[in-house]
Amino acid sequence: MANSVDIKYYLILAAVLFCLGMFGVLVRRNALVVFMCVELMLNAANLTFLAFAKQHGNVTGHVSAFFVIAVAAAEASIGLAIVIAVFRSRGTVNIEDIRTMKH
Amino acid sequence: MDALKSFFMTAPVEPAEFAQSLWLIIALPLLGAFVCGVFGKRLGRGNVHLIACASVAGAFVLSAIAFWCVNHAPQGGLPVSMENPFSASALRYSIGYDYGIWFAAGDFRVNLGLMVDHLSGIMLLVITGVGFLIHLYSTSYMEHDESGWRYFAYLNLFVAAMLTLVLADNLVLLFVGWEGVGLASYLLIGFWYTDAAKAWAGRKAFVTNRIGDFAFLIASFLLVLLVGAFTGQANPANYTSVGVDPSAAQTRYAEGLAFKGPLSFMGLEIMANALPVTAESNPAAALSLQSPIAQGPLEGRTFGGVLTVTLLLFLLGAAGKSAQFPLYVWLPDAMAGPTPVSALIHAATMVTAGVYLFCRMSYLLVLSPTAMLTVAIIGAVTALLAALIAFAQDDIKKVLAYSTVSQLGLMFMGVGTGIFWAAVLHLVTHAFFKACLFLGAGSVMHGNGDETDIKKLGGLRREMKTTWWTFAVATLAITGIFPLSGFFSKDALLHGVHHNHLVGFEGAANALYALGLLIAVCTAFYMTRVYLLTFEGERSKEARVAHAHESSGYMTVPLVLLAILSIVALFYALPLMPGRNGVRQPVMENFLGPVFASAERLAARGGQVKLDHSLPSIVDYLVAWVTALVGGGLAAFAYLKYFPSRAGMPAPVWARSVRRFTQNKFYVDEVYEAVVIRPVKGLGTLVFKMVEAFIDRVLVHGTAWVTNFTGITLRYLQTGDAQVYAAVMALALLGGAVYAIIQVLN
Repeated sequence: MANSVDIKYYLILAAVLFCLGMFGVLVRRNALVVFMCVELMLNAANLTFLAFAKQHGNVTGHVSAFFVIAVAAAEASIGLAIVIAVFRSRGTVNIEDIRTMKH
Repeated sequence: MDALKSFFMTAPVEPAEFAQSLWLIIALPLLGAFVCGVFGKRLGRGNVHLIACASVAGAFVLSAIAFWCVNHAPQGGLPVSMENPFSASALRYSIGYDYGIWFAAGDFRVNLGLMVDHLSGIMLLVITGVGFLIHLYSTSYMEHDESGWRYFAYLNLFVAAMLTLVLADNLVLLFVGWEGVGLASYLLIGFWYTDAAKAWAGRKAFVTNRIGDFAFLIASFLLVLLVGAFTGQANPANYTSVGVDPSAAQTRYAEGLAFKGPLSFMGLEIMANALPVTAESNPAAALSLQSPIAQGPLEGRTFGGVLTVTLLLFLLGAAGKSAQFPLYVWLPDAMAGPTPVSALIHAATMVTAGVYLFCRMSYLLVLSPTAMLTVAIIGAVTALLAALIAFAQDDIKKVLAYSTVSQLGLMFMGVGTGIFWAAVLHLVTHAFFKACLFLGAGSVMHGNGDETDIKKLGGLRREMKTTWWTFAVATLAITGIFPLSGFFSKDALLHGVHHNHLVGFEGAANALYALGLLIAVCTAFYMTRVYLLTFEGERSKEARVAHAHESSGYMTVPLVLLAILSIVALFYALPLMPGRNGVRQPVMENFLGPVFASAERLAARGGQVKLDHSLPSIVDYLVAWVTALVGGGLAAFAYLKYFPSRAGMPAPVWARSVRRFTQNKFYVDEVYEAVVIRPVKGLGTLVFKMVEAFIDRVLVHGTAWVTNFTGITLRYLQTGDAQVYAAVMALALLGGAVYAIIQVLN
């Protein structure tokens, strides 16, 4: 398949996306942005699944990607619900201020 | 007369059936102790008295029936006998029952077996009989005490333990009773524990006894090894003196060991019989006392040597319990307990345990003249030392305490020279008159505001009539005045000491006899002194109460009974029974014949001891009587004539220093303090310091410190900040990725 793009470009893109997501998770203070960065990491994972699936001609990767999307959707809905609940009770979504577990 | 004889020799119960109920004799007082101890406070005084006395009375009745059963011999029938699992021959005049395995470990086994023969039968009657009188007396004596229920619980416990001791048919069960009386005596001596001195006295008794008990335990272990070595090395010829068919006897003995364990008295008796003294005395036998042990921890030691060591350790054990020379110091201090307790411990029970132990194992003792002589010398030294200390004691109970130590020394002399029956006879008569003396002293204290200093008493003869005459009878008995029982029993002892010979130590007999006479003089002197100062003369000006009052009937009835018993017990020393070669035997000797048959048989082989069975002649009796009269007369002269005439004059310096020396008990306690207690205490402090420095500082505190430090350090990692955790995870991931890349590149 000469016209196809070499798999290593997909993987490099996925690694870049993952690192961006991880960087965002580590440094951002807004809980919503952190969530978005987590989604970014999940999507980097999905991209590698699909790249390998295409290379091997195997649909298992696609199925895995669908599972990840489904789980990510569920996680996002629960996470957003938590963030909204926290915002209601505290008036902030800054994760540096949400530290009740420490005490 | 024949009808009476046949009545006494026909048991009311079938002996074999009654044997199964022997445990009841122990269980009754034990139950009494339990009920009094647990429910006593709620039951009220009267009920506690009733339960305590009734349980001992019940034990007495059962003991009497047991004793009756042991004498069972219907006209024309055979005497009662029980099967001996170790040999084909039966045990005559004894009943017993084995309640099965108590515990077993490997091939070591101990059965819960009880046995009554003539020796333990006599002990049973003395313990429960005198014990009951003391219980009865206590109901009045302890009337005003707050915790009477506790007292009676302990007293019942004591009786139960002592009964276990004499009923046991093996050394381990005997040891249970042995420890039990130690415990009960500790509880009773320290009964008034709020008084520090009295609590200390209890502790002293406990610790001193423990030393002896430890020796007893080691001796028991040695015996186990010895029996093992014996069964391994003996050949059938060894058993020729045990049964008609030696190889069958050997098989039987092995079966007996498997069934009853190595520490059963019956088995030890067979072993003693199967051990010839020298190789020549039974050339076919594989081993004698001189042959070495082939294997095991005792390898290379001779049987005789190990046996001697074992017996010496038993002697140390007996010295603790019976208050003999190195370990007697606890007994005078034990006077801190209530007076009836002193009577019980001193007269009837605990202190006689050592004498009982050696009589029980007489067959082993006669195999070792060294051990016998040591026993006799320890007895003589103790008797003399205690008698000398008794001279200067002013506390009426202390005099009696030292007198007990001294009389026990006499019994040990008898045991050590092989005149076992006389030792037992003296034990019995001593139980009667010493209990009478102690209870009399208690009665005197009761009537005189708890005054124990005999110098501050006096003239009680007219005020306490019953106490006076019973005390007088008991004093005459212990000093050995003719026709009282003490005269006969002490004389039988001294005669035996004089005429029995230990092979290799022939000279000892005369020396011991002379010492015995000296002790008799001392006894007569200090007992007369106590009696005169307490009951005769004028009432002391320092007396606490102007007029002493006679005690209640509960106290005087036991006194009267004991006084009568200390007279009629002389019957046992009368030569009324048919004996060897047509010579009449004393009743007690005849009576205990079956018990000491093995010892006699071993002695008759002539290797170790030469036992003598002659009766004391008139000259012997005269000598004994004169000694008693001399001692008593000296005391009477000194305290009725000499000292009163010198009243007001100061005593010479030497007399005062001698008196102070004696009064302080020859400073034996102080010597122990310096030689034993200080070094042990120092060692204890040293060990304590080491424990403190290493275990406490390093191990205990160190562990706590390390845990604490780790916690403080790790606390900074647990921020609760999700991003920090995520960063750590990312770093770990990075590390893992770097590691994987390195692996791939390689």
